[in-house]
Amino acid sequence: MKKALFVVAIAFMGLAMAQGKLTVWTHYGGPEVTWLKEQAAKFQKATGTQVEIVEVPFGDIQNKFILGAPQGQAADLIVSIPHDWVGAMASAGVLEPMGKYATSSYISGLNDVAVEALSYRGQLFALPMFAEAVGLIYNKKYVQTPPKTWDEFLKMAQANTSGNRFGFLYNLNDAYFSYGWFTAYGASVFAKNGNTLNTSDVKLGGSPGDKAMSFIKDLRYKYKLVPEGVDYGVADGAFKDGSLAMIMNGPWALGDYKKAKIDFGIAPMPAPPGGSQWKPFVGVQGVAMSAYSKNKIAAANFAKLLVTPESQISLNKAGGRIPVSKAAVAALKNDPVVAGFSAIIASGSPMPNIPEMGKVWGPWGNALSQVTQKPDSNVEAILSNMVSEIQKGISGK
Amino acid sequence: MERLSRYIYGLLGAVLVVWLLFFYVPNLLSRIQQSVPFGFVRIENGWLYVLGGIIVLIALILAYSLILTSINNARSGRRKSPWPLFAQGVTHLLIWIVLITAFYPVLQIVAASFDPNNSLYKFAPPQSDNLLVRSRVIPDFAQASLENYSKLFDGVQIYAYQWLLLLVALLSLLGTLSLAAYRRTIGDTQEGSPLANTQGRFLSIFTLAAFILIIFLSPSQFTSPNTEAKFILWIRNTLLVSGVTGALAVALTATAGYAFARFSFPGRYSTLLVFIFIQMFPGFLGLVAIYSLMSNLNLLGTYTGLILAYSGGIISFGTWVYKGFLESISKSLEEAALIDGATKWQAFIRVLLPLSAPMFVFIFLLQFVGTYSEFILANLLLTGTDSWTVGMGLRNFTSGQFQTKWGLFAAAAVLGSIPILAIFYGFQRYFVSGYTAGSVKE
Amino acid sequence: MYRSPPGVKGFLLSIGLLGGGLLLTFSLGYLIFRFLAAALPRPVDSPYPGYLILIFMVLLLIPMLILIARRFPFITDWYYLLPAISFVLAFTLYPILLTVYFGFTDYTGLKNGKPDRSTETSIVRVEGNTLVAQGDATQSLRCVRPDCAGEKLEVTSDTQRATLTMVKVTGQRIELSSPPPFKPKLAYHINSYQWVGLANYRDIFSRAGSILFPIFIWNLAFAAGIVLLSAGIGLILGLLLNNKTLKLRGFYRTILIISWAMPTVISFQVWGALLNVNFGAVNRFLGLLGSYPVPWTSDPEWAKVAVILIGVWQAFPYWMVATLGALTTISDDVYEAAKIDGASGWRTLTRITLPLLRPSFTPLLLSAFAFNFNNFGLIYLAINPQPGVEGRPSTAQAVDILISWAFKTAFQADGGQAYGLGGAISFIIFAITVVISLINFRVTGALREVR
Repeated sequence: MKKALFVVAIAFMGLAMAQGKLTVWTHYGGPEVTWLKEQAAKFQKATGTQVEIVEVPFGDIQNKFILGAPQGQAADLIVSIPHDWVGAMASAGVLEPMGKYATSSYISGLNDVAVEALSYRGQLFALPMFAEAVGLIYNKKYVQTPPKTWDEFLKMAQANTSGNRFGFLYNLNDAYFSYGWFTAYGASVFAKNGNTLNTSDVKLGGSPGDKAMSFIKDLRYKYKLVPEGVDYGVADGAFKDGSLAMIMNGPWALGDYKKAKIDFGIAPMPAPPGGSQWKPFVGVQGVAMSAYSKNKIAAANFAKLLVTPESQISLNKAGGRIPVSKAAVAALKNDPVVAGFSAIIASGSPMPNIPEMGKVWGPWGNALSQVTQKPDSNVEAILSNMVSEIQKGISGK
Repeated sequence: MERLSRYIYGLLGAVLVVWLLFFYVPNLLSRIQQSVPFGFVRIENGWLYVLGGIIVLIALILAYSLILTSINNARSGRRKSPWPLFAQGVTHLLIWIVLITAFYPVLQIVAASFDPNNSLYKFAPPQSDNLLVRSRVIPDFAQASLENYSKLFDGVQIYAYQWLLLLVALLSLLGTLSLAAYRRTIGDTQEGSPLANTQGRFLSIFTLAAFILIIFLSPSQFTSPNTEAKFILWIRNTLLVSGVTGALAVALTATAGYAFARFSFPGRYSTLLVFIFIQMFPGFLGLVAIYSLMSNLNLLGTYTGLILAYSGGIISFGTWVYKGFLESISKSLEEAALIDGATKWQAFIRVLLPLSAPMFVFIFLLQFVGTYSEFILANLLLTGTDSWTVGMGLRNFTSGQFQTKWGLFAAAAVLGSIPILAIFYGFQRYFVSGYTAGSVKE
Repeated sequence: MYRSPPGVKGFLLSIGLLGGGLLLTFSLGYLIFRFLAAALPRPVDSPYPGYLILIFMVLLLIPMLILIARRFPFITDWYYLLPAISFVLAFTLYPILLTVYFGFTDYTGLKNGKPDRSTETSIVRVEGNTLVAQGDATQSLRCVRPDCAGEKLEVTSDTQRATLTMVKVTGQRIELSSPPPFKPKLAYHINSYQWVGLANYRDIFSRAGSILFPIFIWNLAFAAGIVLLSAGIGLILGLLLNNKTLKLRGFYRTILIISWAMPTVISFQVWGALLNVNFGAVNRFLGLLGSYPVPWTSDPEWAKVAVILIGVWQAFPYWMVATLGALTTISDDVYEAAKIDGASGWRTLTRITLPLLRPSFTPLLLSAFAFNFNNFGLIYLAINPQPGVEGRPSTAQAVDILISWAFKTAFQADGGQAYGLGGAISFIIFAITVVISLINFRVTGALREVR
């Protein structure tokens, strides 16, 4: 009898609390989920609002949120979205503009690139949490000082490419990773008209794009660094096995490298032959809110709790993410990973966050896969096909 | 006329073969780049050794069959030919080659599940003198560890009563299997024999225990923050969804198949046609439509919604198969019942239903197996790792933002395919009879 | 006993009664649901669930069916079909019709009929039918037409939201077709989707030469290749294992079905990894035989070979089992007779066994062809990412068949999900599958006997 009463009481409590409940979708795993749950517990203690954390895979969040939010079937908050989703999700109506919840003193405490990345058409759509970019990660056992110039780099990479060891690997066909080479030769995704991007002018083609594509092909067939069949898993596995001297990868991979007891260092990639500075894509992730949330004030408060400098520091301790709050970066300046990647991020440019970017990735990766398929691939024709497919996708004609 | 069409087919076939041999295959071969990456063991003309090995094996089989037959002939004084024995030996050889090909990916999955590196590709050279191990054709088990498996069970709290139920389930399963094996050895194939009844009782105990386990397992028993530690929960979710879906498939197709097979109402033929042709629409491309339907019914994120979405999938095939099965049963039994004053419904329930058990098992299993590792619809309708099915979990290991967690994938694959393999091996008979009843028309 | 009115009349009457009953009870269920929601309101965040409509409907349907059956007794024959029919209607036909409808619209992930949040416009005040925006509304709303005529607008206050139609926007003034139901604070432009007629189909067929036809040809070759090769191997194995004197026969037969029994979400992905050019185990083995690394997953033509081989690996046990099953139906007397006539083993095989297997194999071959024609799982899971083909878009790469092309177009063109185009492709696939099946039924005569 007592037990039954207890159950009933619990049920009623559940009903009462359901009023002030927040749902959060996250793609984090392991220690970062634990971190998020700790923040949720802290928030519940302070405000009495219950926070439910639901784990959703990264690849599903965008689609499910766009479909589900208008029907009230999605979370109040997403922790966290990469900034290149912002345009598409805002246009699809599901993101709440966050400008009204963020104070100017909070904004001014952030890295400018991060704020710019998460803003679309002048509105801030997510509160920045951390940034990421790819850089050169080298195994100190084989590479003592990171190469500064292409010649040094090539010499080191080729010297290490022998026996059962690779000098330098990454997935050539991944446009996100390969973008740095495009900027080095003067290409960009879209032409810039002052502060806005001109989506009808795709700048990946022409001579700069041709040079970049040819260089990427050369990494395989001329310099013989990256053989066929190297995807992210192969490169990552080789580095973890200690069979790879240098890899192009981002901060998300470092946890595994530490676990594999690899002594690594971080540096920017050198400029490719005949090119200028290598500038990677910078990705910024932030907390976004559903425009259809029924509990916007509480959601905004929890979002603000997640992005304070203290939270960014504790997230870095949990998962190694590179914070975007100036105060947090300053507090972590002795951490070689944060210092190394912060420098790379400062040199890079954020990925375009306009919805049209969605029409670029597919053709771009497809073109890279065609170029690197065989030594005599026709770079020029592939590139012009790619540009026309992108343009067709954007104009819809 | 028939001869002419045969010539045309022959000509077309010849053109195809010539094109394949003289144009396509050379084109394919020219696409192989003549370079050997490091770490890649290539033996010039290695195929000659393998061919030689096979010839030696065949020669050995030949010698064995000749000698054995001549000894036997000498002993018994008969004159038996050695060729059947030789043919058997070669058959064994051939089947073993097929077996190795069939099991090779399985070996790789099992090996990867014991490899803590989460990578299907090894780079550190294995310390071994064996050429096959050194060239990494055969996985190196030297560093095997149970880390991946322990990750799948990390932080799972199982209550005492669940352990007890598990024990009961396992014991009764063991009982069923050993009885089945025993009955096989003594040649007891009767349905109603006492041993068969005991076996049936064991099976019911197993089903009941498994059912209770499945129903009462709750997400709160999974305390680890890692996604993969919810694996047992995913198995349970899948068994629940696939089980109910299979039962629903049987319930929906049984009466429909009966009506199509036995009644002759006007419009029967057109309705059957509609049933068959609707199924040809690539249904899962209607994801957005299914989503909006389930959202209007407030069934998103529920297993009910997923089960209903799956239910459409097998109706037409199941109906078709069951109709075919009923048509192969003589009408005389039912007609006798009808003359005795039974209604159509009573005739169906009393006469046909008991006979249809194998077909229902087949339809149930087909739907169960078909939905067991489905992940596209499940991914659309369910949200949150607590509600995942095995297919979604497995897909998630290999489709992360960057990483492919091969080790965890492999461990989950090994454990996750056990129920399906058990079903296939346990009910092989039903699959064979089901497919034949469904499609064999003479 | 009862008799149905014969012919088309009886059919139409039955369909009318059933359809009418379903429709009526559904409408009543819906009305009760609305009435319930109005009479006993629930909080906004947890309204009555929509499936209550279905429950009410079923509760009403049962007495309704009994009533109909009293008046028209012949209808009870149809009641046996009712569960299947209603499930097919609700969970198969309805989504199909919706998808086909999308095929005639320009529905995409962005043009989804939802407000574009980046067009947020603050409303200062309301003057009858007109909203006055804080800044230049033509700039902030970014309509398709310069004056926004006829386009939709969402307005929100802190607690309410409503969708309205704009008549004209000039400067700060947004003129609406009707006054807003509450005082709005913010307004957003809605990206609505429209009926575009056959535009999606025109788009597909205008590029048919470079996409649709090559994919269709490959799709046929893919399905035929898998079916013929796996059936051939399975047939040989089945014949070998049918030899009653072969030792370990049951053992072989049992364990050989592993590749068929294994969930494909596992085996296909593992094959994809094993076929890696320089690091996969298959090429390591071929290297021992003296081969250079074969670009299974990175060359467009080899990728085609690879998926066919994987498909054959997966399907051959099915054919082996089917052969063994079909062989049990051939009685031993036939073979005895052949033996007495002095026929050789080969002659017995080609003149007796194979012709007797043919009637059971033909329908299996054709249904396997239809299945493999739409074998999405194999294409999607085995080789990912696929090698690109020069001159083809990223949604139609080396091994894409019609259905995976449709899937990629509809759901995977990142950010720009083209549900409309995807719907159109689905309908084309449907048409092709129907044609193939009609040929199938013609060859096997499967439908003739039903009639």
